[in-house]
Amino acid sequence: MSLDLLLMALVVGAFTYGFRFGPTKLSLHDLPPQSLRARFLAATGPAAIATLFVASVLPVLRSGGQNALPLIAGTLAVLAVFFWRRSVVAATLSGAAAYGFAFWLTLPA
Amino acid sequence: MTQPPATFRSGLISALPIAMGYLPIAFSFGIAATRAGLTEAEAVMLSVVIFAGAAQFLALALITSGAPLILSAFTLVAMNLRHLLYGPALLKAAGQAASTRRAWAWAFALTDEVFGASLGAIARGRRFSEPFMLGLGFGAYGSWVLGTALGALAGGGALQDWPALDAGLGFMLPALFLSLLLSILTRAQLPPIAVAAAVCVAASLWWSSTAGILLGMLAGALTGLVGRVRA
Repeated sequence: MSLDLLLMALVVGAFTYGFRFGPTKLSLHDLPPQSLRARFLAATGPAAIATLFVASVLPVLRSGGQNALPLIAGTLAVLAVFFWRRSVVAATLSGAAAYGFAFWLTLPA
Repeated sequence: MTQPPATFRSGLISALPIAMGYLPIAFSFGIAATRAGLTEAEAVMLSVVIFAGAAQFLALALITSGAPLILSAFTLVAMNLRHLLYGPALLKAAGQAASTRRAWAWAFALTDEVFGASLGAIARGRRFSEPFMLGLGFGAYGSWVLGTALGALAGGGALQDWPALDAGLGFMLPALFLSLLLSILTRAQLPPIAVAAAVCVAASLWWSSTAGILLGMLAGALTGLVGRVRA
């Protein structure tokens, strides 16, 4: 195993762990609900998930025509199953299945 | 209504959609790593030590481009800066009773998806618990390392004969993020969500996808300062 690669992985892994663990030790208990910090943190979750969804869909959108129908089918399946079952698991699996099926339909014969 | 504190087992079960999303992506990473000239052991080592998907793919690009290791490490560390926000945001949503005694263990696996899934669980009324976080993180981490190992061993072209399956598995993470977004969606959260999405698109198109994620997240969170938003 390359020692340089191992060293790089250890440095990046240590910083990433620090970013994830360190801030969990900040004292948030005495934070007034309407304080700027509390409102910033409350909005962080929805903003992060929205950003990650957009970032994961953008490459599909930019890859062009063949992926348009699967993307619409997958997205609609997630919306429909989530509002029907209120289940993250069922909606995720249905969306992936619908995407794969629509992709198969668009494959050249 | 708030449910009783969740167990390690329920955390593992909640990790199922994450694991199903991680397996194919980690599998792809294992394939890409061996294609980039890494050994199977080196590919698995990156997943075991770093456990951050986007950073790992970028690491491969930097390694194959011949970038100096110090520059590569700096770039990858900068890419993971967004994780600074996850712990405080999660604990703010979890409330005053949230314990962080074992955060040293569960925070290791506080990835984008684990953060989203735990926040979604709290929004659906599940009480925050460290055993649940450990189960969620363990399921996600195990599937990531397993997927990498399988991909590295399978080598290139493993899913070439199954393009529809490959495509469907590739949509698993966007589907998961959309489901998680729906599970925490309220009228009050629409402004941060809309601003985050718009800034992410703009910054990704005009700069880079890494900048899009970081700036989108920050812009959406800053929108919370303008309105009254509850987690």
